[in-house]
Amino acid sequence: MTRFAAPAALLAVLYFAPALSGPYLLHVLVLCYLYAIPAVGLNLMLGYTGLVSLGHIAFAGIGGYTAAVLMVDARLGYWSALAVAVAAAGAAGAAIGLVCLRFRSHFFMIVTLAFGLMLYSVMNNWDDVTRGAAGFPGIPRPPAFTTLESFYRLALTGALAAFAVQWLVVRSDFGRILIALRQDERLAEAKGVNATLYKTAVFALGSALAGLGGALQVSFLRVAAPASFNLAESINAVLIVIVGGAGSLAGPALGALLFVGLPEYLRVAAEWRLVVFGALLVLITLFAPRGIAGVIDDGWRRLARRGR
Amino acid sequence: MSALAVRALEKRYGGLTALAGCSFAIEGPGIYGLIGPNGAGKTTLFDVIAGATPPDRGEVTLQDRRVSGLAPHRLVRLGIARSFQECRVFPEYTCLENLAFSRIALGSRPDLQEARRLLELVGLETYADEPAASLSFGQRRLLEIVGTFLQRPRVLLLDEPSAGVNPALLEILSAFILKMHAERPGLLLVIEHNMEFIMGLAADIIVMHQGAVLERGTPQAIQASPRVIEAYLG
Amino acid sequence: MAQALLEQVINGLMTGSVYVLVALGMVLIYGVMHVLNFAHGVLFMLGGYVCHFFFTRVTGSYVLSLLLSMVVLALVGLAVERGVFRPLQGNLRNQVIASLGLILAIENLVVALWGPNALQLRVASTETLVALGELRFPAHHLMIIGITAVCVALMFGFLKWSKLGTAIRATSQDRNAAMVVGIPVEKVDMATFCLGTALAALGGALVGPLFLVFPQMGDAPMVKGLAGILLGGMGSVPGAVVGGLIIGVTESVSTLFLPTDYRDSVAFAVMVLILLGRPQGLFGVRVRGEA
Repeated sequence: MTRFAAPAALLAVLYFAPALSGPYLLHVLVLCYLYAIPAVGLNLMLGYTGLVSLGHIAFAGIGGYTAAVLMVDARLGYWSALAVAVAAAGAAGAAIGLVCLRFRSHFFMIVTLAFGLMLYSVMNNWDDVTRGAAGFPGIPRPPAFTTLESFYRLALTGALAAFAVQWLVVRSDFGRILIALRQDERLAEAKGVNATLYKTAVFALGSALAGLGGALQVSFLRVAAPASFNLAESINAVLIVIVGGAGSLAGPALGALLFVGLPEYLRVAAEWRLVVFGALLVLITLFAPRGIAGVIDDGWRRLARRGR
Repeated sequence: MSALAVRALEKRYGGLTALAGCSFAIEGPGIYGLIGPNGAGKTTLFDVIAGATPPDRGEVTLQDRRVSGLAPHRLVRLGIARSFQECRVFPEYTCLENLAFSRIALGSRPDLQEARRLLELVGLETYADEPAASLSFGQRRLLEIVGTFLQRPRVLLLDEPSAGVNPALLEILSAFILKMHAERPGLLLVIEHNMEFIMGLAADIIVMHQGAVLERGTPQAIQASPRVIEAYLG
Repeated sequence: MAQALLEQVINGLMTGSVYVLVALGMVLIYGVMHVLNFAHGVLFMLGGYVCHFFFTRVTGSYVLSLLLSMVVLALVGLAVERGVFRPLQGNLRNQVIASLGLILAIENLVVALWGPNALQLRVASTETLVALGELRFPAHHLMIIGITAVCVALMFGFLKWSKLGTAIRATSQDRNAAMVVGIPVEKVDMATFCLGTALAALGGALVGPLFLVFPQMGDAPMVKGLAGILLGGMGSVPGAVVGGLIIGVTESVSTLFLPTDYRDSVAFAVMVLILLGRPQGLFGVRVRGEA
């Protein structure tokens, strides 16, 4: 029971943050949550199953633009539009997965990379539907959540829902099979696992989560822009997952916090910040592949050993 | 009707012919040895039977049902299991988790009691909750073999189970295989280079050479056969 | 119509040649090290920037700048191979993730040093026109096609007849066997990576004058190069050449029927078709689970 005391306290603080802090901090936290949601999806795909998607945020773009078109042009109700947007992203993931997950991992990486670039091109150029490079304005917030404080609670709930899904998946048999696939796909197949099916399923789920993040993001910012969903953002998503700790439950939260929070704190020029992050990603991969969560975990273990 | 039969199997990898018209039939349960010089095509044969790669020509049948070309995971459900020459276990999973996986992969509940019993039989019970990566190579081999039996296969393909295992563990391995076979008789086909090991297990030995079956017989007959000797020396 | 088609075919050969340069480097690295170097795009881009630097600050000679950028990038490639890819050898997932870090770091470094705006490379060959029948092309177009053709020919000769080239082919076919016969595979890795990077730099430096030099300039060529490799068959060097050219020409010709803005979708569509129809590509060999 005491294990849950700290997280519960943290949750309480977060939930009551609007009463405790000003709009700037709330804004930053909302961005953290909105970055964390797709990161959870990518963590399931990359951290637990070992699928390296180079176009993850393209699916956030599918969620964002589908929501935009449905809410503004089709005048569909907010929640229905959101649901369809998430489903569309998931369906796109399933479709792409069916094309390339049968094959060696190289193909998956190439196809996701190409898909992301192609989608960016479509978002930029299909002016009739996406309003082109300037972006798609006028996206509403949900009826009961128009203020910053109320949207903050919505975003927090969304993030918590994503983490809940992650937790349920990881401790289920489905999750155990995914983790086995990451360790040795050929062995898992020799034990009776239909690798393609499971990989496609987690890819669809991860893409749906990305879609949720994207749809909430365009709602928060009230605009959908192609630049939010380009290759650089997909790389950022990988950064968040890896630095935070791939294959750990808290990884996406730690990574999102670092990625969004730290620059706000340090106030360094955007490009140099990203140079540092890029170098950090390389260094983490070389020397600390389990990321921040791994470092914390090792620290705990050492403390526990000394205590014995 | 044969439990396992392969007919005229051919397989080429680029310019290399791995299987050149390989045929044999095994009638029923028992422990059978598969030996032959390096490059004879033994592992390729296992890859074909277990579905890792389709044959260019020929077929594999299980109880006269054609199974060649099916994916590995489907063959598992038809009762085929295998171990790997290089020894594959899930390195991050504990021994118990590795063993439990045999059932989880097929959507059933794992029998942890049975898993613990088998771990005890091979002397690994103290490692039940240790990650497989922390085991020695020989111990990992034992774990791998235990895992294959937990799949309750009708046809079990063991690829050089003794390779890299020290003599003490070999005794345990040998005893374990015989005990498992006695508890639930199945068709066990074992690739081996260690003649002493395989002669102690199998009564029927198939010899492969250059992608096809050269001879078949009892261990004594095989050891005395001039053709077999020439294949190994030539 | 025939004129328009011919014009697009020539344009396509030009862009296709650039894709071939990218694809060649990537397919060689893939064959020897069994890794797809996703940082190839930023190395291509860096080639453009370094060429621009030499051209505007050091020497007014485009050709010299081009060669210098190839040399500089070969050294960068050496550093990347030894510092990033060698330590992660055998772990494809981590190598790809590390190359993403490289993309992030290098692209933003370029923005930090040169600014986000595109740079111009004013070179004579882009302004001189050459006549082919009734059509007019910048000499630069034909220069790109010509230089690439020469490079491809040199590459084939090098791979077939030189000692290093033979070592590269041997290591690609069977790394263990190559080690057994005494080939220094680590040196082969290094040399191949440097060679591939130099080719990428050449591509960036050649394309700079036509399409400007900007931080994201390598992204699309890398994807097209990958599409070319997929089409030609993973690991096939002739496949990379044929594939790259086909992608280039198909893209250009498609602009006659589709809005130009969707050029990039052509490469993706080709990829999907290959994977659905003939996953081993034109020259590849099919292996189960490995397409």
